[in-house]
Parts: sequence; structure tokens; C-alpha cells
Amino acid sequence: MKQHLGRQSGVQKVNVNLIDGKVDVTPKEDGQIDPAQLLKAVYDSGVTVAEMDVTVRGKIVKDAAGNLLLQVSPNQSFAIAPNDLLKAVEPLTDSPAVVTLRGELYRKPAGKKKAAASGPLKLLILEVQKKE
Amino acid sequence: MNTRKLALLLLLGSVFAPVLQAQIKNIEMRVEGMT
Repeated sequence: MKQHLGRQSGVQKVNVNLIDGKVDVTPKEDGQIDPAQLLKAVYDSGVTVAEMDVTVRGKIVKDAAGNLLLQVSPNQSFAIAPNDLLKAVEPLTDSPAVVTLRGELYRKPAGKKKAAASGPLKLLILEVQKKE
Repeated sequence: MNTRKLALLLLLGSVFAPVLQAQIKNIEMRVEGMT
């Protein structure tokens, strides 16, 4: 699995802890990495992902439907799941401010032994680390 | 000459600034069924 993940585009380093099942992926300097692709790569190697967390830097923007997104790059953004922490960054919507967030992008549905992610990944904010 | 340099600097800044400002820093997964 480590080798398979290491071959994915944008991956600089992969650390696997066999004891607690934690896999730490360090993206390349440009940060151009696709978490959905990593999720698929892990499933393809026969392992189930229980959860995926990211630390990400980006701008809060609103799409045409009024949903809040974290824009990571001009062609990559994540829909933000509503919670209390979203209220802390909501005033920064469509401003030039950049925020660093830690959030959950995927969690395996309860009761399912193996479940691939369906639909676009949503970011559930767990921590607002920085506002710039 | 200085104006051209300044314009070039602004152009480069606008191209590279979004890449420097926003990115995925780290991805952490918890997996099951690993042998």
C-alpha cells in the first residue's frame, strides 16, 4: 500500500504505522494532490479507510448555489459541511483572507465493512488553525 | 525601465501567489485490514 500511495501524483512521502493503522501522506511542495484519488488508491490495495483527515490552506468562497467551499487552488475546492466551527470562518467568505484548517474529509459509514467514498468529499472542519 | 520591472514583478506575483497561498499541507488516514 505504501508503494502504491507513493506512486500517486503529488505525493512526496508516505509514512505507515502498522500498530495503530495510521497512514500519513506528505504532499509535494506545490500541494497539488487529490485526496479522492488517494482514497481510491488505498481501496485498490485492499485496505479499508476508516477516516481521512487533512490539514489544508485555502480561501472560503461561495458557489453559485450558495454553498460554502474551501478553495485550495483554482481547480480544486472542497464543499464544507456545516458545523459550529464553520461559523468562525464564514465571515471570511469571498475575502482575500487565507485560512488553515484541519478537517475530516471522509469517514467510513458505521456498520459497513468496506465502503468506497461516493460523491464528492466534504470537509468537516475540526480545527481552525490560522487566519491570515 | 523600472516600470517594466515592476509590471513583470506584479505579473509573476499574480501567477505564483495562489500556489503559495493555498494548498494541502498534510493528509492523515486511519485504515483497517492492514497486514
